[in-house]
Amino acid sequence: MTAAAPDAAIRARPKTARLRLPRGQFFEWFACLFLIVLLISTMLVDFIPGLVRPNFPYGDFSQPPEWSLNGLLGTDALGRSILSRVLHGGRTSLAIVAVATALSLSLGMILGMLAGFYRGALERVVDLYTNTMSALPPVLVLLALISVAGNSVPTMMLALGILDIGTYARIAKGGVIAQNDRDYVMAARAMGASDRRLLMREILPNLIPTLTAIVPPLMAGLMITEGSLSFLGYGIPSPAPSWGGMIASSTDLLDRFPILILGPILAIVLTVYCLNTVGDSLAKRINDRGREIAG
Amino acid sequence: MRTAQFSYLKALGVRLAAGIPVFIVVTFLATSLSSLVPGSAAQLILGDNASPEQIDALNARYGYDRPVLARYLDWLIKLMHGDLGKTLFSQQSVAELLFDRAVVTFEIAVLAMIVSLLIGVTLAMYSASRPGGIVDSCLHAVSSIMLSIPTFVIVVLLGYIFAIVLRWLPATGWVSFAQDPIGNLHYVALPVMCLSVHQSAYFYRVSRSEFAAILQEDYVMVARAKGLPMRYILTRHALRPALPQILTVIGLSMTYLLGGSFIVESYFAVPGIGWTVLNSVGTHDFPVMQAILSLTVVIFVVIFALVDLGYAWIDPRVKIS
Repeated sequence: MTAAAPDAAIRARPKTARLRLPRGQFFEWFACLFLIVLLISTMLVDFIPGLVRPNFPYGDFSQPPEWSLNGLLGTDALGRSILSRVLHGGRTSLAIVAVATALSLSLGMILGMLAGFYRGALERVVDLYTNTMSALPPVLVLLALISVAGNSVPTMMLALGILDIGTYARIAKGGVIAQNDRDYVMAARAMGASDRRLLMREILPNLIPTLTAIVPPLMAGLMITEGSLSFLGYGIPSPAPSWGGMIASSTDLLDRFPILILGPILAIVLTVYCLNTVGDSLAKRINDRGREIAG
Repeated sequence: MRTAQFSYLKALGVRLAAGIPVFIVVTFLATSLSSLVPGSAAQLILGDNASPEQIDALNARYGYDRPVLARYLDWLIKLMHGDLGKTLFSQQSVAELLFDRAVVTFEIAVLAMIVSLLIGVTLAMYSASRPGGIVDSCLHAVSSIMLSIPTFVIVVLLGYIFAIVLRWLPATGWVSFAQDPIGNLHYVALPVMCLSVHQSAYFYRVSRSEFAAILQEDYVMVARAKGLPMRYILTRHALRPALPQILTVIGLSMTYLLGGSFIVESYFAVPGIGWTVLNSVGTHDFPVMQAILSLTVVIFVVIFALVDLGYAWIDPRVKIS
């Protein structure tokens, strides 16, 4: 009887462990879930049955939230469904930020790696770019670009993409310089590996964790910058919905209908919070892993 | 024989000189902004109804039809004489305009910095001395939420609470300190509060982790073993080693605050740098934009030079030069 008990306990353990979420990671799980739901609902917003178009005058002006799909977050001053506008605005913002991130991550990573590997003049150029970009507030750079190039969606993607190239390049460069002295790189070099192989097959895999961890917070920063521009009236032109623009237009009615501003505010705050949380969590895991390897 | 003062001056000079390439890149790009316009800059400024004569006149006046390099060298030479040109519409001196506006932005930035340092660092000290406690966990959650609220949401929320619901503070407007110190305080309160929300959360985060690491040090252990009160240890033993990290954050935030708090200034109609930028973008006032972009770089370089010297001042072991 007593001899069988440990056996039973061992067999029982995996079952319970699988059902239980890891302790203390509630916010991380919430953040991932929210981001996935946001991504799916904004990407498939056109296929949500019953949801009106974002510019369709759906009901009475400035109606408080009610228990129906289109009226869930209320209607704005022109009688348009706020939920529909939040989802469509989110799709535009997310698309802009995603393209901008892809652009700056790929360019920044390539430039940073080459600069860290070959040093010399290239490194100086990359450093100059990084320093220049960090000397200027992002909103100022964007305003300057938009004032000459106009505020279409491709311009926004490009302009936002320019901002973070320097940051990604700096991190990739630092990573390459740190890895370059490691024994495994020296071993590969001794075996006659080409520069290309060294960079792509030996060093790059070791940079990916660090680079991945800074993507979510930088994306959050871009979301804020894009929202700020829309708020100031320099984002993508109306009537296309955007979170910043919706918040700006709700402020006129703030004294009478404060509840109507809640939808877009929750959307941007939650998105930024979740991106930051995912980033923090990734960074922490990478640090912990680094410590395990070192220790 | 080199005196300490001389070496500080020299170090400052070296750092300022290091900023020259960045300055040149930014000012050159700022000059070429007007050449990037599809069509011509004069056309954009005057609108579609402008006659060719008007466009030619504007080009002759500001040289928008000349090559970028020539205009840039012109601008640089004028800059040496302290002349930043005139604004396109009011024909005011850009340098004077910028000075007036920079004073406003500077006042708000410095006040916001002081408020958020006091709040952020004090709370960080408290929660680092009781890690894992209830205050620590609450502040961690609160600070991560605050860091996730964009400024344009904060201005709307705080503006709503203090100007519409409570009616304690004016929603928009500005009175300069010289005109009416008390009234100035009234107008400055909301912008400063809005900027401080984010800043204090940022300071809290950075200094909380700094203090937590420092309180693990042996000399803190000795101080505790001697029976020194925690408050004394925090202020006398832990604050100074934490300062370099805090100083870095001060430098970073200061450049952003001084570069123009666009949202806060536009929402509360505060006539500062950010407000000026927004107006000049709307009217395509290139001389003003160019001057502000350059000013921002100068501020950045100067602040980081000072931060660098600050490290040496805080910790004499740090070598300057």
